[in-house]
Amino acid sequence: MQKTGYAANNVPRTEVPTQGKELMLKRNNRPIRGFTLSLLLAVVALVAAACGTPGDDGAATTATTSAAAPDTTAAATPDTTTGGTETTEPATDSTAAAGDGTVTVGFISPTTGFVAALGTDMQRGWEMYWEQNGDTAGGVTVETVFEDDAGDPEIALTKARRLVEEEQVDIVAGPILANTAYAVAEYVAGQGIPTLHITAADDLTQREADPHVLRVGYTSSQTNFPAGQWAFEQDHQTAVTLCPDYAFGWESCGGFVSAFTESGGEVVEQIWHPLGTQDFSTYVTQIQSTAPDVVFIGSAGGSDAIQLFQAWSDFGMAGTIPMIGNCCFADQVFLREVGAEAMGAVKSFTYWVEGRDSEEVQAFVSAYEDAHGEIPSLYAAGSYMMARVVAEALATTGGQVNGSEFIDAARGVSLDNSLYGPLEFDDYNNVVGPVYVTDIVEREDGTLWAVVDETFEDVSQFWNKSPEEYMENPVFTRDYQGN
Amino acid sequence: MSRLTALVLSAAGLGAVYAAPYVLPSFVISLITLVFISGLVAMSINLLAGEAGLVSIGHAGIAAAASYGIAWATLNGMGVGSRVLLALGLALVVSAVFGLTTMYTRGIVYLMISLALGMVAYGLALRLSGLTGGQNGLTGIVRPDFVDLWWQFYFFTAAIFVLALLAIWVMRRSPFGLTLRAVRDSETRAASLGYSVAATKFIATMLSGLLAGIAGVLAVWNSEFISPAAASFARSAMAVVMVILGGTGTLFGPLAGAAVVVGAEHWLSSYVERWPTLLGLAFIAVVIFMPKGLIGQLPRRLRPETDRPQKPAESIEPEATTHTSA
Repeated sequence: MQKTGYAANNVPRTEVPTQGKELMLKRNNRPIRGFTLSLLLAVVALVAAACGTPGDDGAATTATTSAAAPDTTAAATPDTTTGGTETTEPATDSTAAAGDGTVTVGFISPTTGFVAALGTDMQRGWEMYWEQNGDTAGGVTVETVFEDDAGDPEIALTKARRLVEEEQVDIVAGPILANTAYAVAEYVAGQGIPTLHITAADDLTQREADPHVLRVGYTSSQTNFPAGQWAFEQDHQTAVTLCPDYAFGWESCGGFVSAFTESGGEVVEQIWHPLGTQDFSTYVTQIQSTAPDVVFIGSAGGSDAIQLFQAWSDFGMAGTIPMIGNCCFADQVFLREVGAEAMGAVKSFTYWVEGRDSEEVQAFVSAYEDAHGEIPSLYAAGSYMMARVVAEALATTGGQVNGSEFIDAARGVSLDNSLYGPLEFDDYNNVVGPVYVTDIVEREDGTLWAVVDETFEDVSQFWNKSPEEYMENPVFTRDYQGN
Repeated sequence: MSRLTALVLSAAGLGAVYAAPYVLPSFVISLITLVFISGLVAMSINLLAGEAGLVSIGHAGIAAAASYGIAWATLNGMGVGSRVLLALGLALVVSAVFGLTTMYTRGIVYLMISLALGMVAYGLALRLSGLTGGQNGLTGIVRPDFVDLWWQFYFFTAAIFVLALLAIWVMRRSPFGLTLRAVRDSETRAASLGYSVAATKFIATMLSGLLAGIAGVLAVWNSEFISPAAASFARSAMAVVMVILGGTGTLFGPLAGAAVVVGAEHWLSSYVERWPTLLGLAFIAVVIFMPKGLIGQLPRRLRPETDRPQKPAESIEPEATTHTSA
């Protein structure tokens, strides 16, 4: 294309001499180029190695990875030499070789790419549990192999395959995005290997529930049912919702809208914004002109949440119309950026509250702050909880990991107190636990954090319906918001 | 490269492809399968970029159309034949949209329109959640029985790839291939010789779209899952990176590029945390030191004959250099 013009212009004039020179240059330069290239690559390799990982994360990663590597070739060859048998029979439960006293967990999270921050937090939370509690549970040693999925389902799937086929892991934990989680869960569960998640995608433990899949977290809509009911109880008759226009937003809004309208409220407008919106001012003016009693935000956090709130307060709306956020709107990233303006302007409905008055939570927060210099996010707490559930389930099974039996044991885990509070699992492998209404306040040292204002106990992913009744309806989408 | 060396090398290559599943672990084979699939997408872009001088950064959209086609058809219980037909038909429809909107353009305009169309495909995949499952994607897609096992699927993909390679080779030597290069080198000259520039570009886009569609079908059969990420800009851009890494306009360049990119994304990332940096630096190094790409820069006697610039195009060789590095 560009070439066309270029060639047409130049062909008549300098064609032959240029070519001659070009060839000569090339011949003369080749050895030097080759040398420079290898030099450059060497430098690159050195730089990459040197700045490899901040802290000890990387060291741990490489250590476990290489430690687990030796037995891969031996294990993989028998199947392949025949060239005709399948590696694993699908859907038959795998039995962990607990004889050697180790259980290997493959941990997949996005430590590069556009959600790298979440993946890093997840790794830290996971590691922190085993550091604090020792890496033995139920008489076996728990080893972890970390993998990066870059937030891409195809890469996540390759990593899951590597973990299953090469590392022979007994359990897979991890992917945070809905699509990476679904892709991995489908493959791993199909191999009969238990898998744990904290991803929020509703259907993972609803219409697509699998006996090998457990979620140690809440669904996107789960925390927002109480929000809908609570908003109406506060005498808010009308509401506007503002959620990102993809599955997580649809499901978050769906929870609020269905419970709010069921209670008797009216949702006057539902605004959907594209992921990665820079300018929220049009949405804010839209809300301003509608003047609802309350506005609900179902955000996945990050820059969207910050931009949204800044537009909101630029228009002088902060503190005028009450604002309710979901789990992930007013998180620590948000608070660090927005600052004191958020105080009193937003209430969140969530399950991870860093300022909750509980020994367990505060011990975790201070240990995490000591190690990483920041208050742990929901993703760090969630991964810590995943590790805890794995440990508790291993204790129940005596270190055995037998496919869905392990998940049955994990589902039987019932905690009186945990980072989430008292916790149980339902028959569909999802958490039944408290949802907290939070306020933003200043900690003694001046850091902003969330504290509990009210608590809804034992909130189920099916809210006030039976699972069967609930799942007769489709999953929440833009077009179906539960009414 | 003499005919004999070429024969010996192709025989060795085919032999290696055939022997691989007998000696390599299944995970490595699944990686190689992925290289072939990504290589097909890169090849479809290379067909346009190398032969017609049209660089598309929206081709993941076409591949994803076929992917969603096959996913939807599978979930709705259609037969294997009609599934594939529907998928490829869908890819061709999307390619036709690409072709019709871009056939009068070239250069940066073509680039931008292809980007926009790719984003439209992504947006549709994300929004039409009733059909596509939105961000969650579609699960429960299974491969047809005849490629059910991993090694069967590997051989199938490899065969398709070799066939595609042959098809491209034949096309480049055909009168149509010559016409394409004529259009690439000078649209005015081609038009004054009586060729329809727009029609040529349209046909090239359709051919390229068909290849991308085949890759899309294979991609779904490989992962048994589809989500909007398949149509994302990142995917399209990575495919272009593969083409440039391997060498624009070379026959084996896309495969080499795909091997590097897939290797970095899926294999290197398990061992090096900063793999995106390494991939980026490798890309920069190739663009600076090997502007014709890994295959394009091979010493002449090792380069497959067809990858040498054709005689009539020899006069523009220096330009080709500047072009790739630009």
